[in-house]
Amino acid sequence: MKPRRDKIEEAKKLSGAPGCVECGRCVAACPMAEMYADFGIEMSPRGIIKKTLVGDDVVEDRNIWYCTECNSGTDVCPQGVSCRDLIRRLREAAIEENVVDNAKRCRACGRFFLAVPVEDFVLGRLKAEPPNVLEALETCPSCRREIYLLRNA
Amino acid sequence: MEASRQLEPRLTLEDLRPRTPEKRRFSDRFMPRRNSYILFDPAKCTGCGTCEMICSTRNVAKVAPASASVKVLTDERLGKNFAVLCQHCRRPLCLEACPTRAIEKGDDGIVRINDLFCVDCGLCTMACPEAAPLKDPGTGDIHKCDLCEGDPLCVQHCPEGALTYTRGKAFRWIKAARWGVQALSFLFLVILVVGTFCYFRAGTVELSCPTGTLQNIASSGTLILVGASSALALLILTVLFGRVFCGWVCPFGFVLDLVDKIVPKRIGWPKFLKSRMAKYGILGGAVGSSAALGYQAFCTVCPIGTLCRSYGVTSFMQSAELAIVPALAATELAERRSWCRYLCPVGATLGIASLLRLLKIVIGARKCKKFSCIQCAEVCPVGIINADELREGISPKIPMTECIMCLRCVDRCPYDAAKIRFRWQKSTPGEANT
Repeated sequence: MKPRRDKIEEAKKLSGAPGCVECGRCVAACPMAEMYADFGIEMSPRGIIKKTLVGDDVVEDRNIWYCTECNSGTDVCPQGVSCRDLIRRLREAAIEENVVDNAKRCRACGRFFLAVPVEDFVLGRLKAEPPNVLEALETCPSCRREIYLLRNA
Repeated sequence: MEASRQLEPRLTLEDLRPRTPEKRRFSDRFMPRRNSYILFDPAKCTGCGTCEMICSTRNVAKVAPASASVKVLTDERLGKNFAVLCQHCRRPLCLEACPTRAIEKGDDGIVRINDLFCVDCGLCTMACPEAAPLKDPGTGDIHKCDLCEGDPLCVQHCPEGALTYTRGKAFRWIKAARWGVQALSFLFLVILVVGTFCYFRAGTVELSCPTGTLQNIASSGTLILVGASSALALLILTVLFGRVFCGWVCPFGFVLDLVDKIVPKRIGWPKFLKSRMAKYGILGGAVGSSAALGYQAFCTVCPIGTLCRSYGVTSFMQSAELAIVPALAATELAERRSWCRYLCPVGATLGIASLLRLLKIVIGARKCKKFSCIQCAEVCPVGIINADELREGISPKIPMTECIMCLRCVDRCPYDAAKIRFRWQKSTPGEANT
């Protein structure tokens, strides 16, 4: 198994993070600003890129688990840095390192499919729904479809 | 640093693009809007994937099944095929969950993703109980069915006809028939002939209220065979068809249904008052008090009776009696047909008779679209359809002693899942042996 440092290094290289010019466009485009009341530089894509570049141990950082893995930061980046790819790889590294406190497991297949803060946001928005609807959200989308097939076909 | 950020006024989406609340017109109460659906029949689907291919041509202008808004699932083991597509829920969860408010539900009922605001975060997929918004694994884009704005390509091109596009029933004949029958019976029982529901005689035909007859027997202490046989007519009707009297004939029920149309917002009863067994207690109390007092005490305050006696053109117009109907009709503010659900002793008598009924209502969970609709539970005036069971994919058990056979659920269901069946029939709609 590769050491953690190498994994962060690889994620940094493949996502193009060293090209970041800290313009902050990704922060402006990021939907997390709408999702979390405590959105700040620590959890913003720019902050995570910065932390990765200065060599922090981002794998242990809770802040990488707020991202929804949308592509809006990459779309607006003038340097072609993919903050989504960076965060995705950091998360993969975290799961490999068994730092999974903030990862959500599918109840049917057991795979990690969602980050806990993102799930909290979705559940917060769906507070009014009955509990058995929310139960369906405990499984990953492909398992959910599979269950629906078994019920209805 | 922390404090200064707190002090700055922050623009939220609510300021920039406030969510427009769903427009609810008064006419919706009389003529619910017809929404569009794509119906999918798993029995006909062969899993060929034509729908995926044709759908992707609309999404990305090339044939790429992964970019489609519909996903065909095949289960090799069971030999079953299924197409997952957006059901255009009445209360879409994706719309709630979308962080950028890119999802909107139009006036025509179509749930659309506005590409201007969508950032492809995929939270709609996470919030949808069917995971119907699909994330393109190649590009990461979210694709969701928008019914091709009224002329779906998948329906046109499905070689097996497993997909059908429908706008629901154009004419709800059950609804029209029920209102007609209710109005006619109101006209006959209340306006034209006085006191007809309680007791009616024309030549040799004699009809009477079964609960009144029970009280009559109790108060006089003798079994009057003529009276008992005249009460039988309604009981036989109930044995044949269930409590159709309550849903289709009862003049007070008609008044309650009319009041229901103008009730602005329902308050609901506190839980400890909601006992459906209470009406049997009232029936027992009515019969018992008749036996004790020697006259039909309950009948003097019965809303059905006072409606029939006091409101017609030739009636007595007693002020005390006039007050009973509006007072009990006001219970409609709390729940629909509160009187019929919890209190009515006539309904209780018919409920006992309907233990022998021949018909039942079944709702087949397989045909039902689960989370997206649940209209049956909403329109049920006595609230006996368990929406939670439906959501879990279980065909709900409908307590037929409570069902007033108004057939609103049968009439309203756009998927033909609610049906009338004989009591001994085991199958539910959507299963193989129907």
